[in-house]
Amino acid sequence: MTFNSVWYFLFLLGVFAVFHATKDRWRWVVLLLSSYGFYAYLKAPYLLGVLLLVTGVSYFCGLRIAAARDERHRRVWLWTGIAACVAILTVMKYLSTLLRVLGPAFGSDGLGHPVLVSIGVSYYTFQAISYLVDVHLEVVEPEEHFGYYALHMALFAKLLQGPIERAGNLICQLKRPYRFDSESVRAGLLLFAGGLFKKVVIADRAALYADRVYDSVHDFSGLALLTATYAFAVQIYFDFSGYTDMARGSARLFGITLTENFNRPYLATSIPDFWRRWHMSFSNWLSDYLFRPLQIRFRDWSRYGTVSAIGITFLVCGLWHGVAWGFLIWGLLHGLYMATSFYYRPYQKRVQRRLRLAGGRWHGLTRILLTFNLVAAAWVFFRAATLQDAWYVWTHVFDLDVGGSLVQTVSNAVFLGLEESEILLLMASIGFWLLYDRIVRTPHVNGLVRWCAYAALLLATMNLGVPSGHRFIYFRF
Amino acid sequence: MTTFERLNQLFRTVFEDDSIQLRADMTAGDVDGWDSFSHVYLVRKIEATFGFRFTEKELLKQRTVGDLIADIERKSATSG
Repeated sequence: MTFNSVWYFLFLLGVFAVFHATKDRWRWVVLLLSSYGFYAYLKAPYLLGVLLLVTGVSYFCGLRIAAARDERHRRVWLWTGIAACVAILTVMKYLSTLLRVLGPAFGSDGLGHPVLVSIGVSYYTFQAISYLVDVHLEVVEPEEHFGYYALHMALFAKLLQGPIERAGNLICQLKRPYRFDSESVRAGLLLFAGGLFKKVVIADRAALYADRVYDSVHDFSGLALLTATYAFAVQIYFDFSGYTDMARGSARLFGITLTENFNRPYLATSIPDFWRRWHMSFSNWLSDYLFRPLQIRFRDWSRYGTVSAIGITFLVCGLWHGVAWGFLIWGLLHGLYMATSFYYRPYQKRVQRRLRLAGGRWHGLTRILLTFNLVAAAWVFFRAATLQDAWYVWTHVFDLDVGGSLVQTVSNAVFLGLEESEILLLMASIGFWLLYDRIVRTPHVNGLVRWCAYAALLLATMNLGVPSGHRFIYFRF
Repeated sequence: MTTFERLNQLFRTVFEDDSIQLRADMTAGDVDGWDSFSHVYLVRKIEATFGFRFTEKELLKQRTVGDLIADIERKSATSG
């Protein structure tokens, strides 16, 4: 039951109706049971057991950390909880891959090991770790009510793909008495509809282009590889931000505001800026619970300490997506970008002054384009099926195919043999989204204009969705 | 010179800005250039100037200039 299915929408309305009709003191039960039912519907019964295990372990360790007499005991319970969460995540997400890779070395063919479905596990284990660290740092009080704690881990709106919420932000909202607010419901439904449009109209259509090339990269070269890589950059952004909007919209119906995950990441003017705008709940998690502690621990190594912390953080960032060379290299590439940016920083102002670059409009635009292309270059490793495919894209993207006329060459590369109407629809729907986004973000827009925009969005979503749509990309992480 | 004044002087040196006037409620967003990269450099300067070493937990808990000053004064008192 993914967010872009009719069943999910019916489920959402059903839960909202029951939630609305229930007394305040029992509303957490409605949401908790709905969330467990939603998770159980994935037809991998052990997943519910894993969720309960992570919830139970982190709840218990959180209470023990707070009750411990001295710092040594507090640290023992902190690391016990973290080790348990990491062990569960490793078994669920990496064990079958590791057995497959390491099997031959131990005389086994590595086959026959079941591939465990791990949807959602990496999100809620990270959430559990953040809770334990926050309790240890005394940033949040340990939650004594098991029901509210379990609900903050399991809430269906953010269970499968985040955002990765902090206990300090979510639990207080779950405990707050609910009052029906038509404005909040309207905002929630609009967020949900906007997210659905992003997913089924834009992301799934961009996927047609990305898949066309990336399913057999050796049949293409030059501009076609570039088009497909840009198409994937469009796909992954609209896919994931669309999902996040639907998650946030779902939660808003219940008076809950989930963390924003994206802030126009392709307008970033540097790689550090990109990571402040992309998958923010994850990048903030990495920054707060991995990068900063490492950086502090390595502080005596001066610059090498920070660079080491960057390297480890982006290694984990890559591996969090899965044990595959592509994810690893994608993470390390971003680590390399960040380390380069860190070394360049002290000279940045001087270089810009000398070249008279600072402040100009073109300078800003150049930085945006450069950052986007660096990000797109890294996406190649994220998307390609194998390392060989990714390397082929990198080494053939600037090949000039001069077999026919220039118009014919560009046309072949842009349309990739697909219907011309598809590329026109893709461009038009991105243009429409930019306009729609501007209208809904601008206060005091004429009511008629606003309602026309809503109606156009709904009509487009109902009529222009790609029939053979994809699952959400981040579903598998 | 008070702890506050010494810290203010350190901020001006580290961030190369003589106009910085610290307040207890200031956070990283209020000082141009104060990010996670420069923060470690600032911490090392503070430790060298005041002659003590922060624990990891103290550093991870600090959110504002006020938190930083409270830790410096507490540690200076115990180490002095």
